[in-house]
This record gives sequence, structure tokens and C-alpha cells, in this order.
Amino acid sequence: MTLILNSINKQINKNWIIQDLSLKVKDGECLAILGPSGCGKSTTLRLIAGLEICDSGSIFINDEDITNISPVDRKIGMVFQSYALFPHLTIYENLSLGLKIRGISKKESIRRVSSILDLLKLEHLSTRKPAALSGGQRQRVALARALLRDPSLYLLDEPMSNLDAQLRERLRPELRRLILNGNQPVIYVTHDQHEAMSMANRIAILNDGRLVQIGTPKDIYKTPASIFVASFVGRPQINLFPESAGLIKGIRPEDIFLDNKGIDFKILYTEWLGTNQLFHLDTSQGRLRMLCNADISINSDHKINWKQEKLHLFDSKTKLRINNG
Amino acid sequence: MLLIWSLSPLIWQLYTSLSTPEALTRPLEINEFRWTFDNYKQIFQANPPFVRYLLNSLIVGLSSTILTLAIALPASYSLAKANNKVSKISKIILLASALFPYFLLFLALLEFAREMNFGNNLLALCIPYSALCMPLAVLLLTAAFKDLPNDLEEAARLEGLGLINRLRWILFPLIKPAIASTSILVFLFTWNEYPIALTWISKSELITLPVAIARIAGSSVYSVPYGAYAAATVVGALPLLLIVFIFQKRIVSGLTQGAIKG
Repeated sequence: MTLILNSINKQINKNWIIQDLSLKVKDGECLAILGPSGCGKSTTLRLIAGLEICDSGSIFINDEDITNISPVDRKIGMVFQSYALFPHLTIYENLSLGLKIRGISKKESIRRVSSILDLLKLEHLSTRKPAALSGGQRQRVALARALLRDPSLYLLDEPMSNLDAQLRERLRPELRRLILNGNQPVIYVTHDQHEAMSMANRIAILNDGRLVQIGTPKDIYKTPASIFVASFVGRPQINLFPESAGLIKGIRPEDIFLDNKGIDFKILYTEWLGTNQLFHLDTSQGRLRMLCNADISINSDHKINWKQEKLHLFDSKTKLRINNG
Repeated sequence: MLLIWSLSPLIWQLYTSLSTPEALTRPLEINEFRWTFDNYKQIFQANPPFVRYLLNSLIVGLSSTILTLAIALPASYSLAKANNKVSKISKIILLASALFPYFLLFLALLEFAREMNFGNNLLALCIPYSALCMPLAVLLLTAAFKDLPNDLEEAARLEGLGLINRLRWILFPLIKPAIASTSILVFLFTWNEYPIALTWISKSELITLPVAIARIAGSSVYSVPYGAYAAATVVGALPLLLIVFIFQKRIVSGLTQGAIKG
């Protein structure tokens, strides 16, 4: 199954939310849509789900034009950021409601719901209401509901953003086991770049409703297409030098190293990050961040240096990349 | 203090209803015939019996409540969903009409009733009643619909629930507290409403509670039967207290909690 977005546009209250967006997601591929708040990533999901209608452009699943068909007929499994579990129904009822409405026999529905509860280790909670569940459990119920749809496409809208960091780490492999190993395309919206990089085969970066770059996590990190991508992806943030001769140069903090030759520096302050430490430096080229091993020791005749090929070069007018790292 | 303030008229009423007329006029003289159920006997044995008025009011109250909800629920849903000029203007008009003193309307309503032959028809009373309650009901229910997270309805749409199914399985159950409180307000209004009931209904076996109570009070030119009057008000207030007690839990229970992850 393949999802294709063909130059879709969406305007809400005369503001362009999505402009000329085209994407292709193949069988079993996980595409993360990454971008700052308000970049249109949630709207993109809603357009694919059919909760909003495109102003122009078209959407295909498996060569079938679904641009104008209703959300139900698109057969989409969606996990909402808020999980959107029905608070007045028990977990069992939450999961079986859709099956009942879609005319599936009671016997069959019991069988399907219990097998999914079993798969997600939720059986013991089936008579509880969502309010009595923990965040992680609610997220799994929302996932179960999406799985029960037997969808041709999964849409995950910030599925982990309301969970604490530890839980996220535990749920990632589970999410991969349940969804990412299937042969349906998965679209994963997030504003967390670590999550995007760890879950997705490819990442699409959106800014102001436009697609700025799409590629594998490695591509995006190594050859960011614009200043926006370069500074949006990668923590600690890339160092950008002041403009000179129509060029803006950038260097990632981990590509700066201590050397015998290079430029002088003064340490402003240090952030201890566990395995690494981040130095904030004052140099003749402006303030720079340098990421080093935690056990490094600096002496007074150290200078900082970097390899020329690690530099990212951007046009100062278009803000686009000009070298092919 | 607040309790005394709000309860004392009720207690006085109860006391009056259980006292003989002599005890009421000479409260300080100790009298062995002080307490009596005669007042209650009197109103229940009158013709038509007092139960009849209770029943009349119940019929009017229930029919008005049902009619109001039947119109207000779909109207509020669409007002809550639509976000255009028309819906904004209609909300302002609704608010304005909710503030309009309905007393000014009852003469016009009387003409309307005469024209439509609605006089002496209990069910017809629910037309002006639900019309008068409509602005408040729509405003309350619109607010309730608006408070529901949009995600819930969209999740239901993705699950294949059409509009009717969404209302039936998701939205109505979730705004139950608002529906309950709206119903109570409508019911209270019809239970207590006097001028329209007085002018539309003249047959003594069809009059509603407030009119009946007023008739008891004004039944004699020379004396006011305080005891019977008080007994009538006590009997009239009991069903209301009962309803409020039954629905209290529903109103208070926070049904939407847990819909959104914390």
C-alpha cells in the first residue's frame, strides 16, 4: 500500500496552512513529519484522515483517489495526541463501538477485541474507564483502537508527547513491534527530533506549511537543505557564523575539536551532559558551542579547529544549502 | 447562617401547614389541638383533589422539557459546530431574548392561544413554555457541546459513526450533566409559572399547581385559609425537592474527566 499526496493546499481563515505539499510513502515505511508548532503537520494528518478537505490537490492510497471520500471509507487507523478515548465507555466498549457500528457480529467483535487486548497486554483493564488508566495504558488503548480498524494506513499524531521520557523509551520498541513491522505506510507527526530520528525511515520537515526537506534521518542531519533545517535538527544546535561574501557557514558543535593550531578561545561556561560536555566559547569568530567527550581536559595552549569538509555552506539570501557535504 | 436564611421560610410553611387555624392566630397559647393533618386532608379531599393539579403540572412540565430538549439539542449542536457570522448573531439574539421579561408577552400569548384554540389544553401550554425556556436551554447546551474536545468526535467519525450515532453514543452521554441541569431548569420554570397558566387554562380540573394554590388562597373573600394554602405549597414543593435530589449526582459527576491525557 502506498500513500501519495499530490501538491495539496489548505487555507484556513485565509491563512495558508499547507502549501503545495507532495509526498510519497511506501509499504511499511514510516515517515515522520517534523516541524515547529504551527507548521501544518497536524493539518497534514487531518487532511490525510479526511477530517479536513483539501482546497486543491489530491490524495491517493494504492492508486485510488481518496481526496473526496469520507474518513470512514479511507480505512485509517489514527492515534490522536489526546488519545481521544471515549471517557464514558469502558475500555472494552471503547474498542468495540466502532466494530458494532460497522456491522460486525457480536461474536466476531468479542474475538477481535480480546485478541487485541491480549496483544497489548490490556485484558485486565477491559472493564475500566479511561480515567482509571495511566498515560501509557491510555496510549496503548488508543493504539489498539487504531489496530482494530485493520487500516490501510496509520496516522500517529504526537503519540508520545504526553508521556514522560522513561515511558517513551519503553514504548518505542512496542510501537515498532505493533505498527512499523506491518506493510502499511505509517505517518508519524512529532515535534521531537529524537523520536523522529529513532522511529522513522524518512523524515519530512515542514515549515510554514511547506515541505522544506525530505530524506533519511542521516541525510537530514548530514546535509540539511537550508539554514532552517540545519538549526531545527540537531541538539545542541548548529553554530552559524556571521554572513560573509553572501555566504553563511555552519558547523555542528561535535565537529569542532581541540587542536594545536586553529583559533583562540575563552570558555564562557560549560554544560555537563553525562557522556558529553558542551562548552560555550567566545572566539574571534563569535560565540561557538563545542561538544566534547566528558573526560576531556583543556589546557591553556589548546586552540579549536574543524575540518573544512564538515562546514555547511548556505546562501545568505535564499538561506539554502550550496555545498554537497 | 445561609442555611437558616434559605430554610426558614420552608420551615415556617411546614409549621403552618401542620397547625390548626386557632393555633396560628394565637401562637403563644398552649393548645392541645395544636397539630393537625386537617389541612392536608382538606386539599386532598377537595373537588377536584389536589393530586389532580400535581398531575396536570407534571404533564405540562414533562412535555415542555421534552419539547425544549428536542429542539434545543440539535440547535445547540449546530451552533457549537458552526463558526460563522450567522451563528454568532443568533447567539447574541438568543442571549437578548433570554433577558427579555416574559411577563410582557403574556397578553400577546393569550391572543395567540385564542386564535389557535389552545385554551384549556394542557399539552398546548408546552409551546409557550418551551419557547420561553429555549434561549437559556440553547445557551447552556451550546456551552456544553463546545466544552467537549473536538478529538472525541473526530475519533468517532474515523470509527465510522455517522452524525446520529455520534450524538447517540458519544455526545449526548458526555453532556448528560448539562442535559440534566437544563431539564431541571425547564421543569422548575413550568412548575412555577403562573400568568400564562392562569390565562390559558380556565377549567378547574385542568389548572396547574401555582394557579390551584392561588385559588385556595383566594377561595374566600373574608379569610385566608393559611393552613390549606401552606399544605398546598408543601405538597407542590416536594416533587421538586425529589427531582433535585435524584439528579444531583448526575449534575455534579465530572463525566468528561479522563478524556484527555493528563
